[in-house]
Amino acid sequence: MSRRSHLLRYAASRLALVPLMLWLIASLVFLLLRVAPGDPIDALLGIRAPQEARAALRQQLGLDQPLLVQYGRYLGDLLHGQLGDSLNNGEAVSSVIGHSLPASLELGLTALLLAAVLGLTVGFSGIARPEGRLDLAGRLYGIGTYALPPFWAAMVVQLVFAVWLGWLPVGGRFPATLVPPSGSGFYLLDSLLNRSPEQFWGALRHLVLPACTLGLLLSGVFANALRLNLRRALDSDYVEAARSRGLSERRVVLRHALPNALLPVLTITGITVASLIGGALLIEVTYSWPGVAFRLQEAISQRDYPVVQGIVVVVAALVVAVSVLVDLLVAVLDPRVRF
Amino acid sequence: MLLVGCQPPHPAGQLVVAGKSNLASVDPVDITTLAGTQLLSAIGDPLYKAGADGQIRPHLATALPRLSADGRTARIPLRRDVRFHDGTRFDAAAMVFSLERFRALAKMSYLLDNRIRAVRASGPYELELQLKRPYTALAALLSSVSLSALSPTAYQNHTQRSLTDRFVGTGPYRLVRSTAQKQTLLPFKQYWGPAPRNRGIHLVSLSNSTALFGALISGEVDVLLSTGIESDQQRALARRAERGQLVEGSGPPGEIGYLTLLSNRPPLDQPLLRRAIALSLNRPLISERVSYGIRAPLRSLVPPPLAGSEPPPWPTYNPTQARRLFQQAGYCGSRPLKLPLTFRSNVPADKLFALTWKAQLERDLADCLQLEISGMESTTAYRQLEKGAFPAILLDWTGDYPDPDIYLTPMLGCSTVRGDQCLAGNAAAAGSFWSAPGLEAELQASESLAGAPRRTLLQRIQRRAAAGAAYIPVWQVAPRAWAQPHLRPPVFDGGGQLSLQALSVR
Repeated sequence: MSRRSHLLRYAASRLALVPLMLWLIASLVFLLLRVAPGDPIDALLGIRAPQEARAALRQQLGLDQPLLVQYGRYLGDLLHGQLGDSLNNGEAVSSVIGHSLPASLELGLTALLLAAVLGLTVGFSGIARPEGRLDLAGRLYGIGTYALPPFWAAMVVQLVFAVWLGWLPVGGRFPATLVPPSGSGFYLLDSLLNRSPEQFWGALRHLVLPACTLGLLLSGVFANALRLNLRRALDSDYVEAARSRGLSERRVVLRHALPNALLPVLTITGITVASLIGGALLIEVTYSWPGVAFRLQEAISQRDYPVVQGIVVVVAALVVAVSVLVDLLVAVLDPRVRF
Repeated sequence: MLLVGCQPPHPAGQLVVAGKSNLASVDPVDITTLAGTQLLSAIGDPLYKAGADGQIRPHLATALPRLSADGRTARIPLRRDVRFHDGTRFDAAAMVFSLERFRALAKMSYLLDNRIRAVRASGPYELELQLKRPYTALAALLSSVSLSALSPTAYQNHTQRSLTDRFVGTGPYRLVRSTAQKQTLLPFKQYWGPAPRNRGIHLVSLSNSTALFGALISGEVDVLLSTGIESDQQRALARRAERGQLVEGSGPPGEIGYLTLLSNRPPLDQPLLRRAIALSLNRPLISERVSYGIRAPLRSLVPPPLAGSEPPPWPTYNPTQARRLFQQAGYCGSRPLKLPLTFRSNVPADKLFALTWKAQLERDLADCLQLEISGMESTTAYRQLEKGAFPAILLDWTGDYPDPDIYLTPMLGCSTVRGDQCLAGNAAAAGSFWSAPGLEAELQASESLAGAPRRTLLQRIQRRAAAGAAYIPVWQVAPRAWAQPHLRPPVFDGGGQLSLQALSVR
């Protein structure tokens, strides 16, 4: 069988598992929410409402139905592409996700870009002199940024650059006094399409601190991954062979070692992208960034079952899709991979 | 540096006001949070409004309710010069529509359902309410901003579901844009009352206290509401206000913090023990240590200046008397009472209270009372209150409108009483399970009284509750706000809402 046929079979087998995984995730989140203590009525009304009012609201929201009926309705809606409505305000969950997911993606992708540039630069910088000062500094950087508690780092950055220096906004996604650009929900892109420099600068200023903080925290992973894999590649037989053929060290590194060292980095990038789709909770909460993780955290505290279920299912689907895509990409790029 | 230099200035005369909570909906039927009522107070008008002095005054109404001889029918004359933000006229039919919609859809519909049987327009500008029983605090109830008038035209397609991102009422501002994190308000030019002193308000929410604090200090926002601001940061802001770097304002206390003791199971089924615990609480010390005195000590279930709050009936801290009562109950010495105290882990002040009270008891009454403290997330705890899960728990309460009834009935009301136990009703749902013979009748009687007789009866009810000691008031919280020094000091109305229309440059 040809490699292409193998690849197609591999892709088909991965994709065939997706519905099963999504059903498991959807069922698990449904069950866990019901098993967890507290319920939406308490979250909505606190302790203020009389028993009759609580019962009436429970009935109005359909929470008085048997669990199996609720589960059946939930799965039925999912099969029809319906994620339900928020218990809190009746807003469609798809709309909640539609508003918050672009915010998370804009932050996540910008941070990922910064992390990749910063991390790969640091990871590559020490390669000329292994165990030299630059290499040691790179290692420390990698470990240090990876070990930093995100909420602490975010608050320090916020205090220094927003509160003390007053250079950039403390939080939020857009200046309070401007009208956000309409369109895709990606404010940078939308403001460029609207040809509005004011909107663009407003969005960019709000993006800088959370994206730089998140990028800094993620960059250590890239730095260490590249450094380790590049070292391993430079010690390998095929690089020795290239050197013995008289190729320049630059050519050896850039043409032979680096492409191989970047393959594991691609996998790490995929995993990072997948994790960022669900938002970076601590960063979003600290910077009041209205992303999907921020919204999920609110929904959990309010026991807003449909919103939690909807966000988890959609994010899970996207994570699965990205994971499959990255696996296939690696399989295509790396002939050594067997499947 | 380019980014730093491009900070957009606030449009002339428009102000940015920040608070903590996001707003999922601007529809009064959905609103249950302080952030929501703050917004509604600027864009909506209820029939009555509490002034800064606590007095209820006609707002969209032109006079206080005229009650029938049996007190079960109320007629309310309405203003004739009011327009909705969509240009349509306000009249009695519109008010009927608004109240009926609230009863049908609102999460807090019990506010009306408990009191009102029917609503109808008895004239083009006169409203008639049929009450389930006489209720003299009707005007106070109708001062709730959740009962603001809504345009029937704008809401005609939303009689069965809420309208989450638009609001068409009669308030001094109209809502021009709304998201969960930001609402933009512009003055309503056809407003019947005094025009706002500013050219618009941008209400924004940030998710944590440090961000809010930083946003005011850095000048990013003009006014900051105290809800959600940690005590040490509130103190820092107050100090800045003392130095003239900010201006400060505060409103009447609407929130109370109180302990609920489980009165139907040993050992706290002994009133003597509950009274001893009440005497063991050093409120001034705890208030100072937990909140630098910002959460003022409270010895009443009704916050002042509401009727019946004075004189405070709960005892002051008295360790000598507390020890005597503990000893009478068979405790102290080698047998201290070990009391499990639950606090809400997601409320920072609650945890500080538990730790401080525990330390205070270890210092003063270690051989008589020992606390075993544990935290639980609030929503989880609320679910278990009615199951009698907590021997002692710290909770808080904010009245939906300024009247003693909204504080006393939810804690003391009881539909089935046996001796000193509440078997069913509000007191059981609140987790104390305490009542007293005749207490429910007194609560109901207070609803039909006014003036001095009502005050006297409310004081008596509070004295009985203090003697029962199933609830122990701890502190009261007044809303505060800080503004940049070039602005006038923030002012609050009697309902505890910041008056956004009064915010302006000096």
